[in-house]
Amino acid sequence: MLTQTTIPNGVLVLGAGSLILMALVAIRRHVMRDAVFSALILIAAAFSLAMPQILPHLEGLTLFRLDSWSTFTSLLIIFCAISVILMAPVKASGGDAQTGSEFYILLLISTLGAVAMTSAVSIVTFFIGLETLSLSLIGLIAFNNRSLLAGEAGMKYLILSGVASGVMLFGFALIYAETGSLTFRFPNLDNIPSPGIAYAGLTLFLTGLFFKLSAVPFHLWLADVLEGTSIPVAVIVAVTSKVAVFAAMMRYFSTINLFAPGILYDEIAIVAILSMVGGNLLAIVQKDLRRLMAGSSIAHIGYLLVAFLSPMPYGFPSAAFYLAAYTVSTLAVFAVMAGVMPQSRDIRQWHGLARKRPFAALVMSIALVSLAGIPPVVGFFAKFYVAAAGLAAHRHWLLAALVISSVIGLFYYLRVIFVMMTPGRNDETHELAPQSPNVSNVALITILACLTVMLGALPNGLILRSQSLEIGAPPLATSPALSSYPSKHNGALPGPG
Amino acid sequence: MLALPALVLIPFIGGLLAWLLGLNGGMRLPRTISVLTVLLMGALLIPFTLHGQQGWMAQFLIPWIPAVGINCHLSMDGLSLIMLWLNVLIALPCILLPCAQVKERGGLFQCLLLMTVAGMSGVFLATDLMLFFFFWEMMLLPMFALIIIWGDENRGRAALKFFMFTQGSGLLMMLSMIGVVLLHQHEAGVVTFDYADLAGTAASSRWSYVLMLGFFIAFAVKLPMVPFHAWLPDTYASAPIPATLLLSGVMAKTGGYGLIRFVWELYPSAAPLIAPVAMTLGVIGLIYCAWIAFAQNDLKRLIAYSSVSHLGFILLGIFSGTKIGLEGAVIQMVAHGLSTGALFIIAGLLEDRLQTRDMGRMGGLWPAMPQFSGLAMLFAAASLGLPGLGNFIGEFLTLLGTWSVSHTMAIISASALILSSVYSLTMMLRIFYGPKTSDQARPLGPVSYRHVSLLGGAALLLIALGVYPQPVLDRSNPALPEMARIAQEQQVP
Repeated sequence: MLTQTTIPNGVLVLGAGSLILMALVAIRRHVMRDAVFSALILIAAAFSLAMPQILPHLEGLTLFRLDSWSTFTSLLIIFCAISVILMAPVKASGGDAQTGSEFYILLLISTLGAVAMTSAVSIVTFFIGLETLSLSLIGLIAFNNRSLLAGEAGMKYLILSGVASGVMLFGFALIYAETGSLTFRFPNLDNIPSPGIAYAGLTLFLTGLFFKLSAVPFHLWLADVLEGTSIPVAVIVAVTSKVAVFAAMMRYFSTINLFAPGILYDEIAIVAILSMVGGNLLAIVQKDLRRLMAGSSIAHIGYLLVAFLSPMPYGFPSAAFYLAAYTVSTLAVFAVMAGVMPQSRDIRQWHGLARKRPFAALVMSIALVSLAGIPPVVGFFAKFYVAAAGLAAHRHWLLAALVISSVIGLFYYLRVIFVMMTPGRNDETHELAPQSPNVSNVALITILACLTVMLGALPNGLILRSQSLEIGAPPLATSPALSSYPSKHNGALPGPG
Repeated sequence: MLALPALVLIPFIGGLLAWLLGLNGGMRLPRTISVLTVLLMGALLIPFTLHGQQGWMAQFLIPWIPAVGINCHLSMDGLSLIMLWLNVLIALPCILLPCAQVKERGGLFQCLLLMTVAGMSGVFLATDLMLFFFFWEMMLLPMFALIIIWGDENRGRAALKFFMFTQGSGLLMMLSMIGVVLLHQHEAGVVTFDYADLAGTAASSRWSYVLMLGFFIAFAVKLPMVPFHAWLPDTYASAPIPATLLLSGVMAKTGGYGLIRFVWELYPSAAPLIAPVAMTLGVIGLIYCAWIAFAQNDLKRLIAYSSVSHLGFILLGIFSGTKIGLEGAVIQMVAHGLSTGALFIIAGLLEDRLQTRDMGRMGGLWPAMPQFSGLAMLFAAASLGLPGLGNFIGEFLTLLGTWSVSHTMAIISASALILSSVYSLTMMLRIFYGPKTSDQARPLGPVSYRHVSLLGGAALLLIALGVYPQPVLDRSNPALPEMARIAQEQQVP
């Protein structure tokens, strides 16, 4: 009976969907059908998340916790996955009828893992979600197995992601050794015998998280992976996985007061500053648009960490808003890339796009302007909101880094726009004719452009939504030593379980 | 009052219309639309000009982002009205005059020009801080596009420089803005971005100096004040003439407007603290840029530097903290817009005809175009501050205001007038007098009726402003009540 299940609806639908898809592929493969079917599964999952009453309501889950935060981030993740399908149907899988269907299976499984992470309240479910996502990503990254670059990227991700998971797992083990709890929340370190070990575990856990988020100084893999893999998969790496990991991170730290100065705060703040500045500096020297987007993505993780380190009433909603803005804008950039120039290796190949594909160039410009944080598009308000959060919390160093890195960021975002608007010089022989995007891609970039502009001009709805989000953490395990929970740990985030 | 949002929406919609109608390559239709748009804006301003009363003449208020206390709040007072008139007056030649760089996509060109105009209208009207910032950043994007599509060969660098300078300082302003709002929330418990609510919030706080600095830097970059002027010569020189016209004529004035409206009126206690620095930098800018202007061979760069130099007067006038200095600054903003705009039109025409901006390759043009040269002489005279023209009034009032604060500064800045006569007259000498140079690319031909009438109109306005500036002073006076109060307080002891 469904009522007895301990699995939330989204995970359930996606899990069942990928099983059915596997069965379908085993019986007879048809790439187009599989693409449509997986899109339907994703839509069904989105509905089951948005309207929890469709499936039997679940009470008292010990492994997952459904709240508006997990719904919000899961919907973002599912939106990404649908976009991946729309971005370049069939072609995304390398256009190979022999293996094309597996692409969609892997896509569903990676989405399943990401969705599971957003609502995980046990270390076990979190880790299973993370590994489901990571392992399917390895397959996806190296999917186009005839490309040497894809193989290289897959290998890099395999090794680094494996190391990160190992580090994280070791961290969990240390924390478990000290606290005896597998609850996915910041442990209460007051009454335990040797907090040093628990802190070491926490540091390892954070290191793993930063690896997965590709925050500086753990960012080295991202540019290579994005460069090597196909564009739709790059979206999953750069958006889906980051949203999922950030959602889980937010939940893990939701019960403590990160806002008072301390070791933990310092560590995250340093990583945030390094990510903002380092990511933008990385992007500024790139000649490949995908590597540039890698730098941009790293920098945006830095901005998100500013929101992460800021208390209510701005910190948490601004993080949610920023996640949505980042998702929409980055998706738009990748969608245009996938639509008009999937093989492009050099920004100079984008010269004159405004003439050849005015609509694509316009959407690209809107998305880049949004990432740069200029009105009237959504990225502007997102940055504004994060800055408000930082200022309310007196995070002056973080804000200084934010301003400096935003100016650096402007430079490369605008350079891409500049390239698209000007014709190339004649001596540049690496001309690459832009393709005409197919119907689903045009539909996708239209939707994304509208969303980017609409949310920028009228952000009220999204702000209200992000302000009403609640994050739930499980109660601490009731071992005698840990039962008391001192008041100084009362987080400023809403609703600690 | 729907006239206020209309002042922003009309150019916006007109721009879109011009773009759509120009998609098939026509240049005439988009231009007609743009002219009608700008004329309509002018018509909307007339009732305010005729029946304007004291203080805020009109308000428009609807909620925009109520979740964080942001409204779409537009209001107009005398100062806004003057700046809006300047906006309309400068926009007209921008869209009317043919531009040699624009050979195709005329619709897009008109559209971008009108978008910039819409953004600037918004800046002059917005009385919600967030809305102000929105327009402040919004007007940059179309300008950026204008420069990179139609600029000269250095446009990439120039456009990037322009954007990064203004955006970077804009981010500081954003932080200050959020700071004020948070401070107000701390004091009053309400999150609001409304100008009226926030005025006086930060007055007593120890943060007010820091917060004021954020605004000050943003406006000083846009004006531009001397250490922040590095973006200007390149941008002015590289942009197509209509864009340069808008940049120097109106956009630079948004900086002056912001200094009055936001730095002085939001921080009445902190602004005087920075006044000595600002005034010193204004004086340095006056002298230094006049000196550099003198050394230029490129006509556009010469005008660009002379423009920065004269903007020093605005800074002086505003930060003298006296009523008379402030009035001088307002007059100077209008006069500077008209005279610099006219000079840029002249530079553009010469560039079109001679295919060069190098003054070494010009010379002896007076006989070929007597009418036009006469007008050029008039604007050069205006720019060097000849009595009877608007600039003189502005500079005179400013110096008067400065005198009451610091004699030294007044004396030094008055000496800039000598320098400006030197470079203005040298410019006239090198272009219009002397022997005729032979390597002109094509025959000069008669100057178009459009040019002469527009330049003539500007000349008439300058003379009117120079002879009878009272109407402008009357309009701007009631808009500066806070200022007047401060001035009185300062003069009492």
